[in-house]
Amino acid sequence: MGYISLLVMIPLAALLTNAFKGGLGAFWRAAISTESVDALKLTLVCSFLAAAFNAVAGTATAFVLVRDKFPGQGILNTIIDLPFALPTVVAGITFYALYGPHSPFHVNITGSWIGITVAIMFVTLPFSVRSVQPVLESLSLDAEAAAATLGASSFRIFRTVTLPAILPALLTGTGLAFARALGEYGSVVFISNNLPYHSEVASSYVYSLVSSGQVASAASVAVVLLCLALLVLIASNVIGRRLSRRHG
Amino acid sequence: MKRSSIVLRCLVLVYVMALLGLPLFFVFQQAFSHGWAALWAALHDHAMGLAIVLTMKVALLAVPLNVVFGIGVSLWIVRRPSWLSHVVDVIIDVPLAISPIIVGLILELAYAQSGWFGSTFARLGWKVMFSLPGIVLASIFVSLPLVSRQVIPLLREVGDHQEQTAATLGAKPTRIFFTITLRSIAWTAAYGVTLTLARVIGEYGAVLIVSGNIALVTQTLTLNIGANFENFNAYQGFVGALLLAMVSVMVLVFIGVARHRMERKRHDSFA
Amino acid sequence: MTVSLNGVTKTFGHRLVLDNITESFADGQLTALLGPSGSGKSTLLKIVAGLTPLDSGQVVIGDRDVTHAPARDRHIGFCFQDYAPFRHLSVFDNVAYGLKVQRVPRDERRRQVEELLGLVRLEDFANQYPHHLSGGQRQRMALARALAVKPDVLLLDEPFAALDAQVRSELRSWVRSLQRDLGITTILVTHDQSEAMEIADRLVILNDGKIEQAGKPSFVYDHPATDFVAGFLGPLTYLDGIAYRPHELEVGAFGEAGENVRVTDVTRLGFEVRVTLENARGETTWVQLTHDEARALNPVVNQTLVVRARAEHSVLTRTSQH
Repeated sequence: MGYISLLVMIPLAALLTNAFKGGLGAFWRAAISTESVDALKLTLVCSFLAAAFNAVAGTATAFVLVRDKFPGQGILNTIIDLPFALPTVVAGITFYALYGPHSPFHVNITGSWIGITVAIMFVTLPFSVRSVQPVLESLSLDAEAAAATLGASSFRIFRTVTLPAILPALLTGTGLAFARALGEYGSVVFISNNLPYHSEVASSYVYSLVSSGQVASAASVAVVLLCLALLVLIASNVIGRRLSRRHG
Repeated sequence: MKRSSIVLRCLVLVYVMALLGLPLFFVFQQAFSHGWAALWAALHDHAMGLAIVLTMKVALLAVPLNVVFGIGVSLWIVRRPSWLSHVVDVIIDVPLAISPIIVGLILELAYAQSGWFGSTFARLGWKVMFSLPGIVLASIFVSLPLVSRQVIPLLREVGDHQEQTAATLGAKPTRIFFTITLRSIAWTAAYGVTLTLARVIGEYGAVLIVSGNIALVTQTLTLNIGANFENFNAYQGFVGALLLAMVSVMVLVFIGVARHRMERKRHDSFA
Repeated sequence: MTVSLNGVTKTFGHRLVLDNITESFADGQLTALLGPSGSGKSTLLKIVAGLTPLDSGQVVIGDRDVTHAPARDRHIGFCFQDYAPFRHLSVFDNVAYGLKVQRVPRDERRRQVEELLGLVRLEDFANQYPHHLSGGQRQRMALARALAVKPDVLLLDEPFAALDAQVRSELRSWVRSLQRDLGITTILVTHDQSEAMEIADRLVILNDGKIEQAGKPSFVYDHPATDFVAGFLGPLTYLDGIAYRPHELEVGAFGEAGENVRVTDVTRLGFEVRVTLENARGETTWVQLTHDEARALNPVVNQTLVVRARAEHSVLTRTSQH
C-alpha cells in the first residue's frame, strides 16, 4: 500500500495541486491556450484515426490468426507483440528514417498528421488484435454454420453473428489503444517534428513546457490529457460491458 | 480454400509486415549499413557503454521490486479481499493510462528539490531526481501493473483449494507459497516479468524528464539513442537501437513460448 | 478420534450461516453431514478442518482443543469436491507431499507412498500427472494424499458429486469399506440423501445453519423429528392431513375398508407403479405399488378404489398438507 501511494497516489496529488496552484483561472488559461488546444486536437484526431483503423485491421488480423492456417502463422502471431517489446524510441527513429527526408522510398510524412498516425498505428496494433483473438477462439462455429445453412452470405454472417460477439472485447481493446495513443511520446516525437500549432502532440507540448520551466502550465495540460485518457477508458469499458450484457 | 480468405490473409500479412516487420528489419539494415568494422567501433562508443550499464542497473533494481510487488499485491487482492484491496485493484491499472511524459512530470512535482518531498529528501542527503533513484522510480511506475494484470485472473481461476489442501497436509504458508502457489503461476508470472523487463529497458518519455538526460551520467540506452539521433549521429543511434531490437526479439520469442505454455496449462486443467 | 463441536457459530456479513452447533462425531464412525445447498454443511466441515475461522464456539478433536489451531496442526485429512490435485506434481509426488512436509526419510517415504498407491489401486499411475487421470482416479489420488499423513479425522466435501453415476456408486462402496478397514473417524458432506443413507453410520441433518436431527439413518428415516427431515429424506404423501411414506399406504377394491377415492393417474416406473388418487373433497394423494400389487389390482383412470394406511406404518408427524 505504501508502495502504491508513494508511487502513484502522492505524485498524482502533487500533479493536481500544481495544476490548480494559480487557481481555476490559471488552470483554465493554460489548458485552453491556442498551442495547448491545437496539440490536444491533433492528438485526439490522430489517436482516434489510428485506433479506429486498427479496430478494423486488428479484427482482420485476429481473424486470420484464428481461422486461417498457413505456414509462418506462428511468426505472424509472435510479431504482433513487437510494439510491446520494442522500445518506442527505436520505433520512433526508425519511422523517421523510413518515412522522413532521407526515406529509401522517397516519401516524407514527417511533420504531418499522417506520420503521427502511422506511428500510433504501430504502437496500438497489438491492443486490438489481442482483445479480439481470445473471443474469436472461444466462439463456437455452430452459430456461423447455422447462419450459413439459412443461406446467409459470409459478410452477412460476419455482421449479424460474429461481429456482435466480438464487439464488446473489440471496443474495450480499441478504448485501451486510444487511451494509450493519447499519451504516446517516444514513437511519435521524431516523426512529428514538433512544430507548435501544427504537428505537436499533447505529450510533446507538456514536455516542452516542462523543459522550459513552466511546470504549473505543464501540470494543467497534463490534467486535461489524463482526464481525456481516463474518460476514454471508462467509456469504452462501460459501453463494452453493456453490449456484452445485451448479447449474453 | 475460398478466394476471399486468401485475399484477407494477404492483406493482413502486407499490413503487419509493413507496419511491424519492416521497421524491425530496417533497424538491422541500418546498423549493418556501414559494414562490420564500423559496427564494431560503434559498439565500443564510450557514452553508449555507460548508458548500457545504467540501463542494466535500472533493470536490476526495478524489475525484481515490481515482480515481488506484483505477485504480492495479486495474492492480497485475490486471497484476502477487503475494501482496501478493491481500491488498489482499480488504482493499480492507472499507470497504463498515463502518458510517460506525465509520469515524468508528476514524479518531478513530487520528488524534485522544489517538489513535495524534494526538500526533505535533500536534507537527508537523498537525490531522487536527475539520478538513479528517479529513473528506477519512473521505470517502476510505468511497469507497475504488468505482472499483476497477468497473475490476478490466473489466481482467481486456479482457486485456493490446492493451497488449502497443502495446509491440511501440514505445510506452513511459506512452503505453500513456494511449492504450490508459485508453481501454478510460474509461466504466467514469467510472462509478466518479461513484459516488465521490456518496458523498463525501453522506457523513454518518463525517464527523459526524471533523469535530466545528462550524457555520461543519467543517460539510459534509450535516451542515448534519442540523443545520438537528434545530434545528427543517426548511425550510432541505430547501433544502440540494434542492441535493443535484439533484446526485443528475445523478449518476443520468450513471450511466444510462455504464452504457448500458459495455454497448454489451461488446456490441461480440468476444474 | 472423536470430534466435538460446542456452540459453533459463524456469520458471513449479516447472514447467520451456522447457529450454535453442538454435536459429537464418534470415534471410528462415518458420519454424513446432510443438507440442501446453503444449509452450512460445507462451512461446518471447513471449520472442523481449520480452513474457515469461526465466530464463536469450540472444536475439539480427541482431547485437544483445536479451536484456534491452524489447519496444519489439526492432523486431519481433507478432500475437496474438485479433489484439488497439485497439477504440477506427479501422482507419486502428490501423495508424498504431506510426508515430505513431515520430513519422512526418502526410502521410508517411497515405501509408504507405494503402499498407499496400492491401497487406492493407482500403482500404475505413479509417474503420471493428474490431468491424465479420470475423475474417479483423481479422487482416489486425493484420498491417498490425505491418508498419507495418517490423519486422526478424514473430512470429505461432496466427494462423489462430480462423478458420473456408475463410478459414483462403485467409489461409494469402496470408500465405505476402506473407511471400515482403517477405522478412521470420517465426516462426509453431501446433499444427496440416498448417498448419505447408503454410506453413513450416522446422519446429521442440517438446514438453515441448524441441526434438524441426528441419528442412525434407518431411525431418522422412519422417525423424522421435523417436517423438513421427513421431506428431505424421502418422498411423502398425505392422507387426511397425515404424512406417510408412499409405500405405507395401500389401495383396495371398491367396497373394502378405507376411504373412497377416484384414480386420476397411473404411472409405471419399472418395478413400481405410482397411482394418483382424489377423494370426494377434491384432495389428492398418491401411493406406490409394487409391480405385483399393481397387476392384481389393475388400476385404471377414473376407477373408484379405496385407500388406507398399512397396519405397520410409522406415523411420521402430524403434518398437515400445506
